[in-house]
Amino acid sequence: MNEQELGLGRCGSFRVHNMAENREPRGAVETELDPVEYTLRKRLPHRLPRRPNDIYVNMKTDFKAQLTRCQKLLDGGARGQNACTEIYIHGLGLAINRAINIALQLQAGSFGSLQVAANTSTVELVDELEPETDTREPLTRIRNNSAIHIRVFRVTPK
Amino acid sequence: MRHAARSPRTSRLDGLSQNLVILTWGTLASSHRVSAEMSNAKERKHAKKMRNQPTNVTLSSGFVADRGVKHRNGGGKPFQAQKEPHSGTSRQRQTRTAHHALAESDANEQSSSRVTFKKKGGWKAGPEGTSQEIPKYITASTFAQARAAEISAMLKAVTQKSSNSLVFQTLPRHMRRRAMSHNVKRLPRRLREIAQKEAEKAVHQKKEHSKNKCHKARRCHINRMLEFNRRQRKNIWLETHIWHAKRFHMVKMWGYCLGERPTVKSHRACYRAMTSRCLLQDLSYYCCLELKGKEEEILRALSPMCSGDTGLTFAAVHYLSGKCQGSLLLYRANKYPRETLGPVTFIWKSERTPGDTSESRQLWIWLHPTLKQDILEEIKAVCQCVEPTGSAVCIPDPLLTPSQEKSQTELPEEKIGRKRKRKDDRENAKPVKKIVGDGTRDPLQPYSWISPATGIIISDLTMEMNRFRLIGPLSHSILTEALKAASVHTEGEDAEKTPHRWWAEACKNPDSVSLHHRQEAVFELLGGVTSPAEVAAGTVLGLTVGDPRINLPQKRSKTLPNPEKCQDNEKVTQLLLEGVPVECSHSFLWNQDICKSVTENKISDQDLNRMRSELLVPGSQLVLGPHESRVPILLIQQPGKVTGGDQRGWGSGWDVLLPKGWGMAFWIPFIYRGARVGGLKEAVMHSQYKRSPNVPGDFPDCPAGILFAEEQAKNLLEKYKRRPPAKRPNYVKLGTLAPFCCPWEQLTRDWESRVQAREESSAASSPGGGEMGPTGDVVPGALMPGRTRQLSGEAGTSLNDAEVMDTDCPARAGPEWATSRGATSSLFCVLRSRKLLRQLSAWCGDRRVARLGPGRGQQELSREVCLSVLDCFPRALVWVRLSLLRKGSPEPHTMICIPAKEDLLQLSCDRLYRGPQESKHCDPFKSKIRKQKEKEKTEKRQNRGSATSESLADGDPAAGPHALTLGLWSGPLPAVTSHCSRVLLGFVTRGDFSMAVGCGEALGFVSLTGLLDMLSSQPGGQRGLVLLRPPASLQYRFARVTVEV
Repeated sequence: MNEQELGLGRCGSFRVHNMAENREPRGAVETELDPVEYTLRKRLPHRLPRRPNDIYVNMKTDFKAQLTRCQKLLDGGARGQNACTEIYIHGLGLAINRAINIALQLQAGSFGSLQVAANTSTVELVDELEPETDTREPLTRIRNNSAIHIRVFRVTPK
Repeated sequence: MRHAARSPRTSRLDGLSQNLVILTWGTLASSHRVSAEMSNAKERKHAKKMRNQPTNVTLSSGFVADRGVKHRNGGGKPFQAQKEPHSGTSRQRQTRTAHHALAESDANEQSSSRVTFKKKGGWKAGPEGTSQEIPKYITASTFAQARAAEISAMLKAVTQKSSNSLVFQTLPRHMRRRAMSHNVKRLPRRLREIAQKEAEKAVHQKKEHSKNKCHKARRCHINRMLEFNRRQRKNIWLETHIWHAKRFHMVKMWGYCLGERPTVKSHRACYRAMTSRCLLQDLSYYCCLELKGKEEEILRALSPMCSGDTGLTFAAVHYLSGKCQGSLLLYRANKYPRETLGPVTFIWKSERTPGDTSESRQLWIWLHPTLKQDILEEIKAVCQCVEPTGSAVCIPDPLLTPSQEKSQTELPEEKIGRKRKRKDDRENAKPVKKIVGDGTRDPLQPYSWISPATGIIISDLTMEMNRFRLIGPLSHSILTEALKAASVHTEGEDAEKTPHRWWAEACKNPDSVSLHHRQEAVFELLGGVTSPAEVAAGTVLGLTVGDPRINLPQKRSKTLPNPEKCQDNEKVTQLLLEGVPVECSHSFLWNQDICKSVTENKISDQDLNRMRSELLVPGSQLVLGPHESRVPILLIQQPGKVTGGDQRGWGSGWDVLLPKGWGMAFWIPFIYRGARVGGLKEAVMHSQYKRSPNVPGDFPDCPAGILFAEEQAKNLLEKYKRRPPAKRPNYVKLGTLAPFCCPWEQLTRDWESRVQAREESSAASSPGGGEMGPTGDVVPGALMPGRTRQLSGEAGTSLNDAEVMDTDCPARAGPEWATSRGATSSLFCVLRSRKLLRQLSAWCGDRRVARLGPGRGQQELSREVCLSVLDCFPRALVWVRLSLLRKGSPEPHTMICIPAKEDLLQLSCDRLYRGPQESKHCDPFKSKIRKQKEKEKTEKRQNRGSATSESLADGDPAAGPHALTLGLWSGPLPAVTSHCSRVLLGFVTRGDFSMAVGCGEALGFVSLTGLLDMLSSQPGGQRGLVLLRPPASLQYRFARVTVEV
């Protein structure tokens, strides 16, 4: 199938991305720069326009809510209209665990009608170093973080 | 039959007052008493009901009817009958004897008591009526006559309508016709007379039109233009005014007419637009000051007005290059941290521009109109700019020059096209020109100043540019869809023919052409970025675009981000990493002459539409070639939420700067691409969810903020007084000292004396001395000149009045205004030092910062540190954010209090604990007010009795409510901190249920002294917990304080 293009080609993005903090090589930053002179500001990760069947998992929203949201997308309306045959669950950094958890829960609750296919990727995040004094230029640096893109799709019994 | 046979009673209808006077035998005494109590309103209501009743019809009032066997005056001339009850009509003769006696008593009663009472109910005869004997005989003629009179009365009642509705409204629907309300002839003939009367009445009631012109004449273009120009002479209209006026609640504020909020219900929709789509705002009312001169001179002049403590200043490297927009707070020269003037944003013109070799730099300072007067004065002072430049008197004036030029160019056209009739008018009258820019400017007043010493030129560019703000992730796709970079002027085209010579000339220079192409490429890349927050904060991008009206879509549509554009990954990454190259921030907008030419050579909508209609293929793309206007614009990224940990980048967007005159040409294309428009209320919401202070309300230490608070207090007080005392909260009982304003001055002073007292008492090692803090509070009332103004606005009415007048025309407020502010300038200040704020933030238990803490040279919260901080800022306020732990949505003026030990204890035991309750206070003013009222009453009675002059009676009640209002604290406030059971820490300035967070959230100021005091006494886990109590509630609720840097 085309999960390769759809799953891999898209990189994850998050509204709340301080969950990714733990992975940041902070030690390196601090040795190079005087913390008194720069403030670290993390920019939003670059994201692609969202399709209706993309779900970006974060650590702030309740787990149950995110799970039901996925379930609803798969189930569709009362008579199954607008049901998606496949959804993509994206998780970045700390939220990778949760994304996997959601996908597995969906699969477990589906009595075998759902399958999962996972892809991993690396997302480039931009950190901005804002100077505290007038004489310094602002700096930007790129930090990598891992992400997961799980395709959850319905299998039709043959 | 019964009627005639009834024993005679006299009933009379007072013809003039239309009050019914019924004389009864036995019940008079009691019923008089009852009726005396009946209110005037009831009487009036009755009179209205009786208005259209035939006068001889008597309706029994409930209490009289019991015994009442009524005599109906059968006379055909009811009025006569009233005036002379026994004038001797034949029907009455038989009952004359009884009648006579009654009439006499009636007269007596009337003269003695002057009591009238009104009937209730309808034609009830009463239960007794049925028990009456049936008469043995009736006189036919009398009986018939009486009936005849009744029938005529009935007929009259039928012909006269009694309801409030208009005649045509009483018609059944199938008989109604269009335009019935103003064309009488559309009505059935029988109703015309009444309708005619009604129409006349309506004409009288209607507001008189100032001119006698008919509707058509008023709608005529020239007359409308005249009228519009007249109306915008007092308050400036934005270019989008007419558009807004049709869709928004308009308010006159700060010398402008601004849209406050949409007339449609759209609070939530606007929030969604900000979060996930695009919200458009017209910020053209923001003022722009231009400083021109040598870089070092400008920097040297401005440096005393800002401080490096509060963040970057004008001199920061990346601001100076023109790459970024900066923002900072201005203070009076060398007065930091006191005497704030207000926040501004600024852009430097980029250094390296093609064809510009002079050393002179340009700096634009953008600010809110309320701050303009003070800041302009101060900047003029620091730059020593005193001499108005000679040219400025006529050049920046937008009214005369363009209109004259335009009229000259237009004249030949007019002579062919116009009707002769109109031409006669036009020859003596000056051709009417739409006001573009500031319509209130006085041509004699200077708008530009030069300094002989430093060579700096300051000019006031207010309303010379439009500023539109797009907020939300879709703003990129809307911008790239709506704006197309201008096509380069090729050599082949005749340069002489085009009116846009500046563009033709710019295109001759290969450097500027390549720059234009680079700008275009960067702009196109933006289409592939899904959120403005991904771009570096404050990025400036200059651009020259074609006329956006040309590729306007047929219908309003919603733009969606184009996924194909997002594929170009390397270039986008580079853009995000390195930002927009410095040279791309150049724009022709900086050049005044080009702007002027662009404004003047705009093709009018009418011409454009005509050309469009003349297209060979209807609906195809209009190609104007060299005649198409090229508009220089400047795009500035607005960083969204930069403080705090969560929701970073919320509410980010782009500001678009346009030359004046082009507002609507850009506005409609943005809207046609799916932008939703917000007004002032949405702007407040935006800054609230961004948790940034709003101008001018959240700057209590700057003159504009003080003024704003006073006005708000006045408005709230008026609103409060409009309700009856029983239907409004009694703030005295609720323990709310200042429900309409925040007494910052007193709060900071109280805290200072409180801590001092504690220090002293602890030195004397006596525990419990801390409660003696407010001892000094009786005295300071006299010390503070600002005090009276901070009270509910009653005492300071005269002062307020003067200031309200000032706000109507802040531009003309003059130096008197500035001095009056300066005299009362406050002693407290708002803490804005980034270093200290960061430290506070760590102490407040913001875990994110706390974790970074040790590596950042943070100090532990200890007494010595606190004292050293307090030495520098003895009376300071801190901007804090409060998020409620559980229920509750705070409102402005909510009190922030320190929880007592037992509150925290209870909270730790029970996580669902709502919070303590304030016990009711007693109201010492209530009895005073009652006494005063009684006194007034007796005085009034005496006055009436002795018939003294009315002026005395009038004067008293006017003074009475002024001194005391039920439910408000009057006189100087007692100690504000210790008035309630929990110690007051500060006040909320803005609070609401936050849709961004999903719980109640508030922003406000707390006393720095109090905050440190509280933090040092609270245990680690519960550090930063406070209590919030709205002014009209007794319930405290828990909230967490965070200081965001």
